[in-house]
Amino acid sequence: MSNLSRRSLLFAAAGSALAACAGPGGDDEKSTSTEGFDGPVEGQLSFAHWRAEDKDVLEQIIASFVAKNPKVTVRQDISPSNDYQTTALQKIRGGAVGDAFTAFRGAQFTQIAGAGVFADLSGQADLLSKYDGKLIAAGNDKTKQLGLPYQLVFNMPVTNVDLLAKYGYTDLPKDWDGFLGLLDGLKAKGVTPIAWPGGDAANAGQLLNTMVMNNIPTDDALGKFETGEVKATDEWFVNTLKQYAQLRPYVQNGANGTSAEAAAQLFATQKAALLATGSFQAGAVRKLGAKFPLGLYAPITTTADKAKYEGVFNATFILGINAKSSKQGAALAWLKHLADPAVAALYANGTSQHVTVKDVEYTNEDLKSFAPWLTKKTLLAPRFQFNNLDVRSAIENATVQVVGGTDPAKAAEAAQRVIDQKK
Amino acid sequence: MKQKALLLFPVPALVLYGAFFVLPAVQGLQYSTTDWDGYSPSFQNVGLDNFRRVVTADDQFSNALGNNLKFLLTVVLGQTVLALFLAVLLAARSRGSTWLRGLFFLPTILSSVSVAFVWKFIYDPNFGLADQLLRPLGVTSSYLGDEQKAVFFVGFAQIWFHAGQMMIIYLAGINQIPAELYEAARTDGAGRWQQFRHITWPLVAPATALVVAYTTIQSFKAFDLILGLAGNPPRSALDILSTRIYTTFANNQLGYAAAESVVFMLAIALVTWLQNRATRLAHR
Repeated sequence: MSNLSRRSLLFAAAGSALAACAGPGGDDEKSTSTEGFDGPVEGQLSFAHWRAEDKDVLEQIIASFVAKNPKVTVRQDISPSNDYQTTALQKIRGGAVGDAFTAFRGAQFTQIAGAGVFADLSGQADLLSKYDGKLIAAGNDKTKQLGLPYQLVFNMPVTNVDLLAKYGYTDLPKDWDGFLGLLDGLKAKGVTPIAWPGGDAANAGQLLNTMVMNNIPTDDALGKFETGEVKATDEWFVNTLKQYAQLRPYVQNGANGTSAEAAAQLFATQKAALLATGSFQAGAVRKLGAKFPLGLYAPITTTADKAKYEGVFNATFILGINAKSSKQGAALAWLKHLADPAVAALYANGTSQHVTVKDVEYTNEDLKSFAPWLTKKTLLAPRFQFNNLDVRSAIENATVQVVGGTDPAKAAEAAQRVIDQKK
Repeated sequence: MKQKALLLFPVPALVLYGAFFVLPAVQGLQYSTTDWDGYSPSFQNVGLDNFRRVVTADDQFSNALGNNLKFLLTVVLGQTVLALFLAVLLAARSRGSTWLRGLFFLPTILSSVSVAFVWKFIYDPNFGLADQLLRPLGVTSSYLGDEQKAVFFVGFAQIWFHAGQMMIIYLAGINQIPAELYEAARTDGAGRWQQFRHITWPLVAPATALVVAYTTIQSFKAFDLILGLAGNPPRSALDILSTRIYTTFANNQLGYAAAESVVFMLAIALVTWLQNRATRLAHR
């Protein structure tokens, strides 16, 4: 009996171990199921996103949605942006969280699309017609419209218009030498020319967008680091790093150790003239008490005649419906509600973000100020072409190290070595 | 029969241990030999290739290991010395020492994210407390932005965070030492240093071994403090093994992340074993 019990236990343990070794389970096929789109608009809907700063505005929008659809409630499942970037796929693929969800453009969208978590929205002509077709291409996966980028942001330095005007800079330079001259002039007046959050990887990397927009050999060059078609040791990238090195005297003290909050504080208190992140920080800057008018400006890294682009934009906060959700009907109704121009206007003006929805009236002063950039020659933010986080980190780390004093050529070699190992 | 019934009592615990520790560990080992991305239904078996890459061809992993060893050295030395110093200082029972013990223990009960935010502001090169205190003395730094020293600055934050906890372990050890030994030493004319050198230090050896082992494991797992201070993913200067594994996992390379985890576990085991040997030798 005793022997039998021991043997049974041994078999049980072995069986458990084999079960553990059975390997990855999950679905056999990548589903983009839309069968539930005709389902009822009822139940508790989970809306997963990373914009904690938009929570109050979204609550207002939820209230108007629930007023129209009394059988449904919406819960916001918010994670900090950095965590959302890394963990959202694992959280939402089971379907328990994120009946409707958002994705960053680039690596995250590609991964979530690859995992088959997006329900296909291609057949929703009414919904798609509410958006500017050019701006939702980032939610398109070859032939299917899987997601709808909702925010339109400009990933380029934000300026203190008053401070620049005070020192005579109303027309901002259109070439690299002119830009360095501007920075020199501001420094001579005792102003920190650029507040740059070098200590915050996610925000430090935003400057890369404008630093490469006119240096890249092709518009999709950053994505080619991963395929080996482009190398960090290529002349154009080493030259970009050399230009980063030229910025060393013009960023704030200890830039590499500065957090995004501290950089925004320097800018909001008018100690710095430019905040090298993007228009998405306008709301945060206002919350820090900034009263001055905001503008946008992208450093042109070439001569004026060779500049292809004036700035950079990104279409992100990609809305999607979870293919595993049992509440797809409610989720689709929620996306349709968000696409209503009046609702989109409430979101845009309340969060200081432009949106990709058509016919939206912008009343927010910052959005009005940034509006001319909607029609300028801008490049879709190249930084989000990276699909491999290690490759992106290697490139961005090189820029941070160069600002911190590392030789550009050495930083490029170190970055390429990592890329060769990780691509 | 009674004995057989008694054998059933550990079964619930064993089932839980098996389900939540043994099985994931076995699965982790299995995944470490695959190229599984974490969500695809299929994967390729790559044998020991992941381990070969981790050990010989991954600069980011070796950089993280180097950072982790620097961090470990800083924290183990700093935290052990500080905790022992505080414990010796506060061993006497008085109202003041009780109050001070509570004060030094206080950081331990804070969440690591809160601690990270506090130290992030302390280390800010423009507004931070460290800069305001040290700049008048001519000392300037970008602190967490300093490629060479950043990991040591995070180590100081970790010491502040956990020294009080280790102090308690030392206090428990010191309180076990018979008072007669100190009385006899005093009668023989031994000073405070001699009492410490010849009585306290040898007799707190078990506590030291515990503190060093615990601090070592803690240093390898200082995940949330690093992410709170450096963002996610952290820059190479602040990347340690736990954050590296997390980044690999987030990069949808679950098989490779599992191999990194196995190497990580072996590194902890090796360093802890070496430390135990060294502690025993030091107390002989």
